[in-house]
Amino acid sequence: IFTLSVKAQNASADKSITGTVLDEKGSPLVGVNIQIRGTTRGTASDARGAYRIDVPNGNAVLVFSYIGYKKQEIAVNNQSTINVSLEGDAGSLEEVVVVGYGTQRRSSLTGAVSTVTPKELTALPVPNVTSALQGRVPGVSVVNNGGPGSSPIVQIRGIGSINYASGPLYVIDGVPTGDLNSFNTNDIESLEVLKDASSAAIYGSRASNGVILITTKKGGRDSKIRISLDSYVGTQSAWHKVDVLNRDQYVQYAKALTSNAGIPTPGRLSDLNQPIYAGATQTFAQTETNWQNELFRNAPIAQHQLSLSGGNAVSRFFASGSYFKQNGIMKGTDFERGSLRLNSDHQVAKFLTIGQTLTAAYSNQRAEPSADRSQLMHAIRMMPYWPTTDPTKVGGFSAPTALDGSDPENPLRALTMDVTRTKFLKAFATVYADVRLTSFLKYRFNYGVDLGFTNGSTFNPIYNDGYVQRTSATVSQVRNTNISQVITNQLSFDKTFGKHSLSVLAVAETQKVLSTGLTGSGTRPNNDLDVIQGVSNPSITSTRAETDLISYVGRVNYDYEGKYLLSASIRRDGSSLFAPGNKWGNFPSASVGWRINQEGFMKGMPQLSELKLRASYGRTGFNGINNYAWQSLVQADATAYPFGSANSLGSYFNSLGNTELKWETTDMVNVGVDVGLFNNRITFTGEVYNRFTDGLILAVPIPNSIGYTNAPVANIGSMKNWGYEFQAGYNYAKGDFRGNVSANVGITRNRVLSLATPTASIYAGQNADYGGFDITKTEVGQPIQSFYGWQVDGIFQDQAAINTANAVDGNDKTLYQDKAAPGDIKFKDLNGDGKIDANDRTYLGSYLPKFNYGANFSGTYKNFDFTLYLQGVQGNKIYNGTKVVTQGMLRLFNAGTAVLNAWTPTNTNTDVPRAVSGDPNNNSRTSDRFLEDGSYMRIKNLTIGYSIPVKVLGGLTNGVVSKVRVYVSTQNLLTLTKYTGYDPEIGSRNGTLLRSGIDYASYPQARTFLAGLQLTF
Amino acid sequence: CNDKSLDQLNPNAVTTDSYFKTDVQIKSATNGIYAALQSTNLVAREWFFTEDLRSDDVSAGGGQLETPRNQLLTGVHDTGNSLVSAVWTGAYRIIHRANVVIDKAAASTSTLTASVAAQATGEAKFLRAWSYFELVSLWGGVPLYKNYVTSLAGSAPRSPEADVYAFIVADLKAAQEALPATYDAANQGRATKGAAQMLLARVYMQQGDYANAKTELQKIISSGTYQLVDEYNDNFIEETEFNKESIWEVNFLPSGGTFNWGGDGDGASGGEETVRTQEYSGIGWRNIIPSNSLLAEFEKTSKGDAKTDPRYAKSVYTTGDKFNNGQNVLTDAQQNGFSSMVDGKEQKISWRKFTLMYKAGVSTTGGINQRIMRYAETLLAMAECENELGNMASAVTYLNMIRNRASVAMPVYPTANYPVSTKDQVFTAIMHERRIELNGEEIRNRDILRWRKLGKLKTEPLAYFQKGKHELLPIPQQEIDNNPNIGLKGQNPGY
Repeated sequence: IFTLSVKAQNASADKSITGTVLDEKGSPLVGVNIQIRGTTRGTASDARGAYRIDVPNGNAVLVFSYIGYKKQEIAVNNQSTINVSLEGDAGSLEEVVVVGYGTQRRSSLTGAVSTVTPKELTALPVPNVTSALQGRVPGVSVVNNGGPGSSPIVQIRGIGSINYASGPLYVIDGVPTGDLNSFNTNDIESLEVLKDASSAAIYGSRASNGVILITTKKGGRDSKIRISLDSYVGTQSAWHKVDVLNRDQYVQYAKALTSNAGIPTPGRLSDLNQPIYAGATQTFAQTETNWQNELFRNAPIAQHQLSLSGGNAVSRFFASGSYFKQNGIMKGTDFERGSLRLNSDHQVAKFLTIGQTLTAAYSNQRAEPSADRSQLMHAIRMMPYWPTTDPTKVGGFSAPTALDGSDPENPLRALTMDVTRTKFLKAFATVYADVRLTSFLKYRFNYGVDLGFTNGSTFNPIYNDGYVQRTSATVSQVRNTNISQVITNQLSFDKTFGKHSLSVLAVAETQKVLSTGLTGSGTRPNNDLDVIQGVSNPSITSTRAETDLISYVGRVNYDYEGKYLLSASIRRDGSSLFAPGNKWGNFPSASVGWRINQEGFMKGMPQLSELKLRASYGRTGFNGINNYAWQSLVQADATAYPFGSANSLGSYFNSLGNTELKWETTDMVNVGVDVGLFNNRITFTGEVYNRFTDGLILAVPIPNSIGYTNAPVANIGSMKNWGYEFQAGYNYAKGDFRGNVSANVGITRNRVLSLATPTASIYAGQNADYGGFDITKTEVGQPIQSFYGWQVDGIFQDQAAINTANAVDGNDKTLYQDKAAPGDIKFKDLNGDGKIDANDRTYLGSYLPKFNYGANFSGTYKNFDFTLYLQGVQGNKIYNGTKVVTQGMLRLFNAGTAVLNAWTPTNTNTDVPRAVSGDPNNNSRTSDRFLEDGSYMRIKNLTIGYSIPVKVLGGLTNGVVSKVRVYVSTQNLLTLTKYTGYDPEIGSRNGTLLRSGIDYASYPQARTFLAGLQLTF
Repeated sequence: CNDKSLDQLNPNAVTTDSYFKTDVQIKSATNGIYAALQSTNLVAREWFFTEDLRSDDVSAGGGQLETPRNQLLTGVHDTGNSLVSAVWTGAYRIIHRANVVIDKAAASTSTLTASVAAQATGEAKFLRAWSYFELVSLWGGVPLYKNYVTSLAGSAPRSPEADVYAFIVADLKAAQEALPATYDAANQGRATKGAAQMLLARVYMQQGDYANAKTELQKIISSGTYQLVDEYNDNFIEETEFNKESIWEVNFLPSGGTFNWGGDGDGASGGEETVRTQEYSGIGWRNIIPSNSLLAEFEKTSKGDAKTDPRYAKSVYTTGDKFNNGQNVLTDAQQNGFSSMVDGKEQKISWRKFTLMYKAGVSTTGGINQRIMRYAETLLAMAECENELGNMASAVTYLNMIRNRASVAMPVYPTANYPVSTKDQVFTAIMHERRIELNGEEIRNRDILRWRKLGKLKTEPLAYFQKGKHELLPIPQQEIDNNPNIGLKGQNPGY
């Protein structure tokens, strides 16, 4: 439905073509790519949609392409003015997508590749691009984890490994990197997720958990310099707090808890009229501190970004600078990042293009002090009558003492005084040369270097909070350098023979990673300096490591008449991580596609613009193990024992080696269907996959009696993930309104198929503060790390009920629960032996959602635009540790208001057991009492923007400013969930994978409001 | 591409094949065994808790006592109890490290000085024996590893108790041949000949073999190396470590409030402290306090004894006692938690022994060496052996040596409440004297186990005790799950 205006002119052999590119409604399209077919010569339309290009002769064909519009090819013939109206392409199936070592048209894809647009990626004010992926791609699970600057947990199509982080491989501009915190999301041109093994297998030994390909921006070719300013400022806050006892309620509760256990009430409670510290006029009785309010704050967030781009037929460039700053909603946490980028490419000769990318970034993170107990837990547990500060104490903070009969730490002390900062300097650069050897044969050389410099510092000053003290300040400094270099040589062949199209790729690649580390520490007698100067107990260690990877890759893509698609690849990787004899592995893949709508018999169905069936199989590997893991090593002089009065160094070896260690391999089968209706105004993609991981690299659960501390890693175990993914989109346009709806659902299931031995099981999650029992169990036949514990069977209302239970087995001398008393929880006797013990535990549920989903509604009306983005998970369980803290009543601490409803002989209609210090019946043991539905749906993003009309703008700014948009946006505006803890998005505390989904009072996600401005010159 | 680059060896550590060959390396590996002994799994924390909580010397201090500890104290511990697991794990860490030293020293004869190899082997065998004795006395027959395990499949089944004891005896016989009687100041804390003899005596006694025990004890007494110190309290404070009474200590250093919470005690710098003060002391967490039955055991004039035993005030603090180098007076309010009943009166009593409260500027963790064996125990053990072998008079003589200590000076046996005219009366006096002299020193638990097994207990000291269950600790669940040679069938009865 394009219109073509032709104005005849005299023919000429070498001439200029001018024209305007408009959209269907006659509005100018800016930045449309106009290229002479078969050459790399091209330009782009300017702000008024106008362009000018020199063509060699009248036989030239101009190719007009623009994202979101159908590509047009127009023969020049005798025209000198070619005005074009591009037709909107409702779907995105025609786009070119980035795949491993190249690009491919989406219509010819045979694997499962999802694309996320820059607009989606920049919708949320998050520093890490993976946070922006949340809910965007079916089958990709993103769980934010911790405070500002912490990387989220990303899993593609389930869990790939038990003991190791099973995150995907990130490849930026062809070079693998491990760190995305340093990359500015605004610099991203495109992001592709390679989900199935046939697309990912091209990355072989590192691709088991999927691959995310990121391509950074390039300039336009319209000979214009474009300057964009993009800024937002906002504020974040905690959206939910838990109800804890106030002072008077606490005193009431504390008396009940202690006296029920026969313990004297702590001395303080009978005399709160004492000054809060020596010399203070305020008494404890006059103090009421809301520790959560003290801990949380309204925290600013801001980003400012300036980019400069431009280019012509020969050279293009894109440069940007950005600064991001985020304070955490918890005091004492923050993250900032500055980054610079320069990308350029140049056509040096007809056959040679060279280019480069460069980014340099600096980041500075202050994280919550790492400790067994989270500061949020301390905030819940702190006595409400305790003052926040105390000027009489060394350090200025006090904490309850023996008089209070309790020992929470003052969370403000650690968050204020103990400073751990990680500063990180990143330089990431690539250079490449494309050589066109013949019209069908190209050679590409790519060199990438990824430099990371970590500068970590910890300063823990002297303090004395009246109970616990640190008598000397500890200073430690960490310096790590990581240098990764990748050299890629690739040869590609692309040719069409009649109805046959063939492309062949061959790659040889090496990657070398060198890392060095230096750690120093010491103690100081005062708080005057936070560097290692004049320290005692100085300690310094350094480390060095090298890993090497050598790879050979081959791939063939073939299609017949654009109907029958075939692709096959193989990668051979050699890795220094494995023992001799096991260093090399082969990773093949194959896939087929059938574009049914291209068949003659489908001609009668013009509504069906796309119908494609795809199937693929591939094998990938996993090598994310520690360096040198197979080697049996001595920890030489790594411990000490103080004979006499001075330390003597000692050696030991605590880990068995394993020369049999080899790749973990994953085989995946994927079947997909792509459907487009009404010119792809409606699109649908469905996938089903089966992912089987064998030779699972496991830290083998060893019996402690063999004396080794660290379990050796071995290929023992197998696991299966399977699932379904659906994605649908709909575009709508009427009058001034344009709307777009897209939604996706990913369904994933997981099961462990085998472990070290048939009976082996891996327990995790035990923590004395959270009941003291293991919380998860990983066992054959169950999903990985399922929640495992007892089931509640009500409350013993009286001694008669306990006696009845004791006599269940016919003998009332054998007790049902050793220490049960009226008001205690009765647990279910699952094995029917009349006795509650470890054998009565059962599987309670899984932290893995039944499905993840996202739904995006966006549209424009005249100059207004809006986006509503919903994201959620359904069907997962959370072990609510926060509830153990607020209702567990293990020992005397402040607690949740629910404990006021604890069972007493006169308050029997309750599900909160009796309050008794020491919890003799283990009411707080791992049970379904603390297991909650973790499903949630969030308004992840709601944005309303207004763009000043171009006409008004032109007048106001004399044409200098081409775009002004202002917007307001919120993140996590509303969360619908039954979960009663702080936030249903539970990461993994202290990074232990097997503790996912256990809420150890972890750092919650913030609700953010912000306002932004976008300017383009 | 150069495939050679794939052959990367860890540059930060030596491989097990190339290490343990020189004198320096074997010495360092020997030190590494001691480091495991000093870990939180063992003597810095969970060992003293386990031994005390299994005895009748202690009761809960208050609500601060964490669940797994309270479970042990009240006999409701299960197979997942973290203390049970810690001591098991710690003991086997020592055994593994000792096995490495013993095996490697034997294999490296060409590069090692013979005397160094012999010394290291002696120390390793002593430490291995100490660990196996912990294991066999607490768990019964346990997996017996005579060499270090070299493959994943190397886990062993439970060996009969007698085999474990025989192995311990052999180790200790070899150790006392290899080890010197004393060390210079820089090596204090290493296992001595006397320590090997004393441990062997304990091992024999635990099996009821009093004759062989006596032989070992006699060697110690005859050596003249040891004698009682005048001040009883000198056995429990920082300033008088390695005195003449001390046979073997586990060393700690005060290093400025840094406690190494690592279960294996590894790390070349940092905490070399014990957390005992924080856990036990009246102004610390006061997790456990002396039990009423222990407090009642002390002779007192109020009970009609001729003299109040001075060891009472040297073992426990009572409200009104001075601490912090005499600068502070202990109050009821400072001692959070339960009171005790002494002389029919409710009082706040807290542990004094092995706590740092006596010092000025008390810190929560500290460097008091744990005296594992001291000469007073030798004499008391000798008294028990003599009595069992029919030499009552000799037994009483040994008992009275303890009571004659200058700072104790209790009236000698027989006394009005402790006549010693029959073997049984002498045994009663021995039980009394052992309990008082060695209270809170992690010895009572094994005494109860021994006397219960030999049928010598007149009443069962543990209120919760169930025959057929509480004699032994459960094999930790982790071991049951992952040692295919034990499995559920290998669990101790009652668990």
